[in-house]
Amino acid sequence: MKRFAGHVAVRDLSLTVPPGSVYGLLGPNGAGKTTTIRMILDIIAPDEGTVRIFGRPPSESGVLDRVGYLPEERGLYKKMQVRRLLRFMAELKGVNGRTADARIDEWLDRLSLRDAQKDWGEAKLDELSRGMQQKVQFIATLLHDPELVILDEPFSGLDPINAQALKDTVVDLRRRGKTVIFSTHLMENAERMCDSVCIIARGDKVLDGRVADVKTRDGARHVALALDGGSDAGVRGVLADRSLVRRVDDSSHTIEIELTPDADAGLLLRRLVDTGAAIQRFELVQPSLHQIFLDKVGASGVETGMSGHG
Amino acid sequence: MAKLWVVAKREYLERVRTRWFFIATFFGPVLFGALMIVPPLVAERSSASVNVANILILDASGTDLGNRVSGALGGIGGSDGGGTRVLPIAPAEMAAAESLATDSVLQRRARGYLVVDSTTVAGTGARYVGTNASTIADMNELTRIVREQVLAMRFERAGMDPLEASSIARTRLRLETERLTSTGRGGSGRVNIVFAFVVAILLYFTIFLYGQNVLRGVMEEKQTRVAEVVFASVRPSTLLGGKVLGVGGVGLTQLVLWVASGFLLYQIREPLLARFGVEQTSVPLPDISAAMIGVLLLFFVLGYVFYAALFAAVGAMVNSEQEAQQAQLPVVLLLVSSVALLQAIVTRPDGGLARLLSLLPFSSPIVMPLRMSVVPVSPLEIALAVLLLAAGCLGVVWLAGRIYRVGMLMYGKRPTMGEVARWVRS
Repeated sequence: MKRFAGHVAVRDLSLTVPPGSVYGLLGPNGAGKTTTIRMILDIIAPDEGTVRIFGRPPSESGVLDRVGYLPEERGLYKKMQVRRLLRFMAELKGVNGRTADARIDEWLDRLSLRDAQKDWGEAKLDELSRGMQQKVQFIATLLHDPELVILDEPFSGLDPINAQALKDTVVDLRRRGKTVIFSTHLMENAERMCDSVCIIARGDKVLDGRVADVKTRDGARHVALALDGGSDAGVRGVLADRSLVRRVDDSSHTIEIELTPDADAGLLLRRLVDTGAAIQRFELVQPSLHQIFLDKVGASGVETGMSGHG
Repeated sequence: MAKLWVVAKREYLERVRTRWFFIATFFGPVLFGALMIVPPLVAERSSASVNVANILILDASGTDLGNRVSGALGGIGGSDGGGTRVLPIAPAEMAAAESLATDSVLQRRARGYLVVDSTTVAGTGARYVGTNASTIADMNELTRIVREQVLAMRFERAGMDPLEASSIARTRLRLETERLTSTGRGGSGRVNIVFAFVVAILLYFTIFLYGQNVLRGVMEEKQTRVAEVVFASVRPSTLLGGKVLGVGGVGLTQLVLWVASGFLLYQIREPLLARFGVEQTSVPLPDISAAMIGVLLLFFVLGYVFYAALFAAVGAMVNSEQEAQQAQLPVVLLLVSSVALLQAIVTRPDGGLARLLSLLPFSSPIVMPLRMSVVPVSPLEIALAVLLLAAGCLGVVWLAGRIYRVGMLMYGKRPTMGEVARWVRS
């Protein structure tokens, strides 16, 4: 738990990140994601509760050397030469200078900050474009080959090319058995990249678990329906049956239907066929994380503004 | 500890690599050299340029004072009595004579005119109007000559032999000063006061300069949010400590280079002065022992730490340059207060005020070395000042550390004093 003057930023949040997985910390702005990450990294101390990394407290010497951190608010020493800056960041993590130098060259090549004509490693940071500065910060996060990588809103402000490079790197890190925690409010990214997620809102945990489990647990109760010629009175009558259908989201092509917890999808299909409607598509779908997020955050009444329905 | 070293190394190298450091480090010796060469050079030039010849003397005294002065001026003026002319006039014609004299000065036939009358003979006043009236050396010379001639004339009137009268009138006193301390005598008192001022100003200047440097460094880390990345690797106290150490190292490097080059310049000053065409003048050196230099450096280091910590706390509190200007005012005033009182302290180096300020931690880094250069201070008192300052440093560093830890991650509006107090307690 962490309190700031007058308000509680994070309350009774308990989460376990499985080693070797990609873990998403999701939530709207102000949910307490950054505060949680800062507590994990021992940048601020929790008022109550404990943090363990690799089974040890983060304040223990050497623990944070195995963690890489990309903060939401990017920033590095503007007047420093890129190579010296990266070397400094590596040395702060306990990597010796010579090892760091070799890895810096490797990374500069990999992120095309160095070629036959130009070596940006020799330039000062403020001579670099924004995109290149982001690359440098990214290198600084990973230079010491951390076992746990924590990325706070890594996609904010990234151009599409760098965003793709970041995704590729996360995949690569996972393949090499590293653990990645990242926070985001962009559900599409989380859905594609995460093995497990934790959704928080206003400092409270809403749900957590493996993405597949979350979807099974909270999903499979959705039906995508498409009709040739649109819905008529008969169809609307069936969909109005609150014993089967909890909610209808009628967008132009597809009608998204949320079933009641114990409704039979087959029964719904039969009754729709009985109305004589021309059904083009009737599909049980897993809800997107975005949908689950909206449902949960809305349903818990924490963020009514975000829920999208009553 | 290894990481403290990494941080300190970065702070040190990044600053030493700048052009600014290069310029400042070489500017010191150049300034020192200039201070050594220019005064003798100017002194020589100005003594050669004293020129009070070619003036008109309007003598309304009714005596031979005008002629006497003219004769004395001829002695220094050069060849033909210096072109000085004496016009004996009646007091009533003075106005007319003066306007004529003014004309000839304006037409550059004379440099100026001197009016001597009965008041001059009485020893109270004379008047000079001329193009060189604001040249101090010339006027001093003229005053001296008139005064000597008035004295000689009055001695003669009192019945003294003219030769004797003239020699008494020419008496000039030169006060030789020498400073006496428990370790022996040496240096002149004046040199030591100058040295004391130089030391105090230098200490003030370097402490202020490098304190500001820490402030800007902390602000940069907060504004660019580098602090957050670094805090994920090391404790805030390590970043703060490393910064203070690194910047202090730069200051110490610069001071040592300055002192060393100053010493070297002093060693080679004879050939150097000869090259500038100045004859060897005896520049007395203040008596400074190695122990004194050691104590000075100790006061610099402790004083720097004291103020650097305060400046760092200010840097962690603010979000912009403008805010920093306001927020650092109390710290700057604290530092300036001891310099503002320099004159008072030098005048009474053993007075109550000087004693008090040389013990209080915020002023002792400047005032104690100042006092030590002027008067002997008991080792016990120095030890007490160092002890109090060290204790003050610990307190301030602790306080600044707590403010720093919280302030570096607080963005947005500037905190109130109440909030800062809460940070310290938390």
